[in-house]
Amino acid sequence: MQAFDDAGIRVYALSYDEQEPLKDFAAAYNITYTLLSDPGSEVIRQFGILNTIIAEDDHPWFGIPYPGTYLLDSTGTITHKFFENNLAVRVGPEQLLRAFRGESLAELTTPAHEEEPKEEPEAVTASVYLEGESLALSVQRELVARLTVPGGSHLYASPAPQGMVAVDIELDENPLLVLRDIVRPASETHSLKGTAETFEVHHGQVELRLPITINGAVTKGGGPNEVVIAGVLRWQSCNDEVCDLPVSNHFELTVPVDGPVLPQIRVPEGKTTNEPRAGEHFQQMIHRHKNKIQENNE
Amino acid sequence: MKVEVETRAEQTKHGWADQDGFVGPFRPGNGPRNDPRGAFPTGPDIGEKMPDVQCVDANGQAFDLHAQRGDAPALFIFFRSAVW
Repeated sequence: MQAFDDAGIRVYALSYDEQEPLKDFAAAYNITYTLLSDPGSEVIRQFGILNTIIAEDDHPWFGIPYPGTYLLDSTGTITHKFFENNLAVRVGPEQLLRAFRGESLAELTTPAHEEEPKEEPEAVTASVYLEGESLALSVQRELVARLTVPGGSHLYASPAPQGMVAVDIELDENPLLVLRDIVRPASETHSLKGTAETFEVHHGQVELRLPITINGAVTKGGGPNEVVIAGVLRWQSCNDEVCDLPVSNHFELTVPVDGPVLPQIRVPEGKTTNEPRAGEHFQQMIHRHKNKIQENNE
Repeated sequence: MKVEVETRAEQTKHGWADQDGFVGPFRPGNGPRNDPRGAFPTGPDIGEKMPDVQCVDANGQAFDLHAQRGDAPALFIFFRSAVW
């Protein structure tokens, strides 16, 4: 939240909850942004994003939106929007801030690390890191692979010409991780002198981004408090005369897993919770909608 | 827009795992697990002016998005619920 404040971005979050549950929610999790209450789902309907695949008589659930986020510029124009098919996956704060800074999710527009060596490397250098400090349930973060290609050389973009290896991240099978499609930079068309053959390549700074979410299954029975993100970063570099052998760099990152921020509507006997009244609010939510349907029928 | 419901799932010892591996007590396509498959409505498009939002905040104060925002850029989040 500090990062959004620093960037001068106002943050508003709207749900179909009554005011009381929102107040409790804000107090329980020290929320400083503005929470908005839309118990009749009027704003949600106005936007046309009411989840209509939930039946109207499915009392507690009906009225939710397809969850999503709009990013507005200073004139109030929508510059980005983020919606996911899976209700358990949300865009992460780093992705939102990148979007706000105008860094397209698909292209590296600025060399990101100032401290990078200024002199030209003789061979391709590569690093892999997770943007953000941890993985948390629902919050999407990106595994970033950054490569620097010496002048005069190129990496093969995906798909590579036959017999060549495209730059790619391949994660080891891990049931704790949910992956989305990898985001690649735009490629350039390259042709070898004296031939008609063309193919797609990357030059200079190359950045691949793999959106990752932690699987909800890990929270069952407590779950681990860290996860190992392991895999291989592959590439092959060539200049117009020679091609280097393909490189497979194995990487392994151990990342903390943050617990879920979910209100507990059923608290086991003897346990405490951040939000003791969540169960009560849930019951009210069921009645609210039942009553409304009854009124409509009368 | 006709929205198709996501029902693909696998039963695991912890419950029903959806296509992304998320596990829940219900099979996808039921109650809180009604996820859309494929295209679904996502409201106004990029490049359009954000519609004004008028409602109340958590403290019962009247809220008007564009008036409150002034000239500041903003994130506007529609989330499921603070209760469940």
